[in-house]
Amino acid sequence: MSDPALNDPTELVQLAVDQDACIGAGQCEMLEAETFLLDDDTGIAALTGAGTLPRQRAEDVVDRCPARAISMVDQDDGAGG
Amino acid sequence: MTTSTPTGTPTSPNITDADLYLDGIPYDRFAEMRSTPGLVWHEYHDGGFWAVTRHADVKVVSKNGSIFSSSVGHTNLWDLEADALEARRSLIDTDAPDHTRLRRLVARAFTPKNIRRWEDTVRAITVELLDDFLATGQGDWVEEVAAPLPIRVILTMLGVPVADAGYLVELSNYLVEGTGETQSIPPDAFGNTTELRLLPFNSPASHALFEYGEKIGEERRQNPQDDLVTSLVQAQAEDGDRLSGSEYRNLFHLLVFAGNETTRTALSHGAMALADHPDQWQRVLDDTSLIESAAEEILRWSTPVMHMRRTTTEPVELAGTALDAGEKVVMWYASANRDETVFNDPFTFDVGRVDNPHFSFGGGGPHLCLGAFLARLEIVVLLEEMAKRSMRLRRVGEPVRAPSNFVHGVLSVDMEVTSS
Ligand code: HEM
Ligand code: SF4
Repeated sequence: MSDPALNDPTELVQLAVDQDACIGAGQCEMLEAETFLLDDDTGIAALTGAGTLPRQRAEDVVDRCPARAISMVDQDDGAGG
Repeated sequence: MTTSTPTGTPTSPNITDADLYLDGIPYDRFAEMRSTPGLVWHEYHDGGFWAVTRHADVKVVSKNGSIFSSSVGHTNLWDLEADALEARRSLIDTDAPDHTRLRRLVARAFTPKNIRRWEDTVRAITVELLDDFLATGQGDWVEEVAAPLPIRVILTMLGVPVADAGYLVELSNYLVEGTGETQSIPPDAFGNTTELRLLPFNSPASHALFEYGEKIGEERRQNPQDDLVTSLVQAQAEDGDRLSGSEYRNLFHLLVFAGNETTRTALSHGAMALADHPDQWQRVLDDTSLIESAAEEILRWSTPVMHMRRTTTEPVELAGTALDAGEKVVMWYASANRDETVFNDPFTFDVGRVDNPHFSFGGGGPHLCLGAFLARLEIVVLLEEMAKRSMRLRRVGEPVRAPSNFVHGVLSVDMEVTSS
């Protein structure tokens, strides 16, 4: 969990979608329509644009994905979050 | 850490006793269980289970499908023999990667964007049912509105002719009985020859529903339409690996049942709650921007599906209780939806509730209700159309509840309606 002292909730963080895990439930697109788009044919989610969100909203969308397919990419070391 | 010894833990009243639910959900017992440290062991006729009653713990179980499995054992309370489990397996009793494959076959039709395309259909059906109900002025809300609305919507989406809706409603009613102790139809009803234990809900009605699914599937294979059955049989035709014959039957069965009984229950309890809390309905009439939060509150209030079960695949500690592999874990959504650490005044029906992370569609894991956006749409459209007509419901007498520990069902509830 993020430590509020270390993590500014408005700081932009990079997101990633694991398309093998995605079940196409569309929670991400509903919550953050500017950031996620479900493919019309496959129904699988992808990032649109830069794929960044303020930390608070990023944490929320990660939490709401039922397939745990969305993660925050740690920009410092490039490892999955 | 609390010990996991099954002895000495209070198990009364027996929360699996279907008849207990004739008087409503045993909320007092659930409150007691929520305040008991660790998980509470509960006896059951084929071996006991761990009752998960707190919101936070339900979420952990839901989100960790590889530890809390849906495919080992069963997602209902009772265990199934291996062959029965296999024969009955549908989307809801699979884990990744099978679950991912099956879910993707149907997921696209149920995304928020694609569900919105059905709004006009939902509205037309709703308006017809409401206007008929208003014209009579009084009647059984379940039979006149709550039952026909969702079944007509899901059957339209599947591509089933409206003329067959009555038959499928009847089958669905028999399925609910299958979760209780007694069934009113003989094992060979509907020409069934399959052993009941191999059929979903142990019900011969499942055989009839399978047959119906096969029949309409065959029709769509011959004559494709723009509907859900066509997209399923096409997936099957393209590649049997994507959807086997038994998977098709079980998926058809699941879509008819899951889209029907549950939403009906939400609409029945919703109407009862609005009738019992006229001040809350007045708030909605005065400010229709509350309709969405009212719909969520109806979902929380009604908890149509009261529990789902998982089985552990490895030793794990949950809420301080050590579990072995192969143990039954039952998530009680009915309890999580009244968790006082999450909801302010959980026993207050508040149409303006702001933070409402209810678990009526499950605790947010991969099995999160496929039909959630459809069910929400149906509730929202119903409230909108009721508000447009300034409809007021008044209860006449007590509801007849279903003897089920699984679906929080209402068999009938008489209502009087006025419109001003
Ligand atoms: C108010 C109405 C409804 C309620 C309360 C409800 C509740 C639930 C619950 C609790 C689950 C299990 C979640 C879990 O295990 O995490 C579920 C799964 C499911 N529901 Fe619903 N449901 C409703 C309406 C619908 C509708 C309209 C459909 C229409 C198709 C539907 C289809 C399904 C399916 C197919 C699953 C299995 C999903 C999977 O395993 O991936 N439900 N529902
Ligand atoms: S919420 Fe998760 S599972 Fe659903 S579409 Fe988005 S990434 Fe896929």
